Amino acid sequence: MAGNIVSPSLSSHLILSSPSMAADFDLEALVDLEQTFYETGYDDGFAHGRIHGLIEGRALGRAKGFEMWEELGFYEGFAQMWLSIYEKQGRSDDRATSHTRRLLDLIAQFPRSNPSETDETDFPKLFRQIRSRYKVLCSTLGVRPSLRYSDRSQDRDEAADATLAGPDKPTSEKSVWKTEKGAGANAPRAVSGHSFDF
Amino acid sequence: MDTPWDEGRDTDTAWKDVREAEWAKMSNEFTNVGYREGITAGKEAAVQEGFDRGFEDVGAPLGRDIGLIRGRSSAILSFLISTSPTALNVADDEKEVLVLEAREIVSQLGNIRYSDIEPRDLEAEQHAREHLETEGQEMEVNEDLEKKKQMEGVEDMLAKMSAGENVEGPGRPTVEDVVKLKARLRALSSRLGFGIDNC
Repeated sequence: MAGNIVSPSLSSHLILSSPSMAADFDLEALVDLEQTFYETGYDDGFAHGRIHGLIEGRALGRAKGFEMWEELGFYEGFAQMWLSIYEKQGRSDDRATSHTRRLLDLIAQFPRSNPSETDETDFPKLFRQIRSRYKVLCSTLGVRPSLRYSDRSQDRDEAADATLAGPDKPTSEKSVWKTEKGAGANAPRAVSGHSFDF
Repeated sequence: MDTPWDEGRDTDTAWKDVREAEWAKMSNEFTNVGYREGITAGKEAAVQEGFDRGFEDVGAPLGRDIGLIRGRSSAILSFLISTSPTALNVADDEKEVLVLEAREIVSQLGNIRYSDIEPRDLEAEQHAREHLETEGQEMEVNEDLEKKKQMEGVEDMLAKMSAGENVEGPGRPTVEDVVKLKARLRALSSRLGFGIDNC
């Protein structure tokens, strides 16, 4: 009886015929064949997964970039406007003016793109310095700091401190915002649970 | 069901069918396993690249744009509140008008959410359409982003309820509203003589 279970084109590599011929069965060829199928599937899946990864990453990066720079932009706009007010009033040498300039200088150091891992600047620290400087500026001006930011800032500062203090945290990772990798290849939604170091 | 031993069937043809079915089963099985693992790996490999692009190209500039006008209007409001009409060189009621305008701008800017002004991601929309066409189901979205969207939906619903059932609210702010608020802020700051040009 003819019992080949492979396509005719491949039958020269893989012969599975009568039980008496079992010894001739080329197991290696079957494994190769399985591997070929797997790889074809993997490549197609990888290309499709890449599209999803880019889409999901973009959505997360947009939201995170907006959140961070909305806060920094607020401090920047606030400082710019007070600088303009004080200049008009001829108080350029005032203490508030120097706080304002220092705040603007700190914000100018903050990246507008996600910094590469090789950048050794301590960005969480820089962010904290910016927030502190904003609060100092507010108290010098006699203005109550925006509650929206001070509440959120406090939580974030604590979170950032915890990140920095974490003993298991490699120092090279503390200054960039990373998406959290999935637990493993078998995780059903491996990249869905994102969190950011910051 | 057909079997290779059916009477009247050509044995070779029957075995050919079995071979083809086995062949298809094996190729599908391994291709599918590969596909599943490939999709996870591809996603993981690209998500950081997507994140960095989204952060730099859209999130950061858009956030800064809104942040700047919020910060400037907040500074103007606190300046107006803490400054006497005499120092402003205006009448009492005129100062009230200025304060009201600053308050209104601050409040309306504060109401704007990222989702109100987020530019469309055409590539994502296109891909979601393809999923819908080929599989008849929507594309999976990130859980955190989905939760945030749902929360905003609840907030909108509560706001609508507190405004009264039959009252149709003005709706969510749009990009055009941001442009208008920028113009109002510019007018207010130039009225006060502060030279911020690029807001």
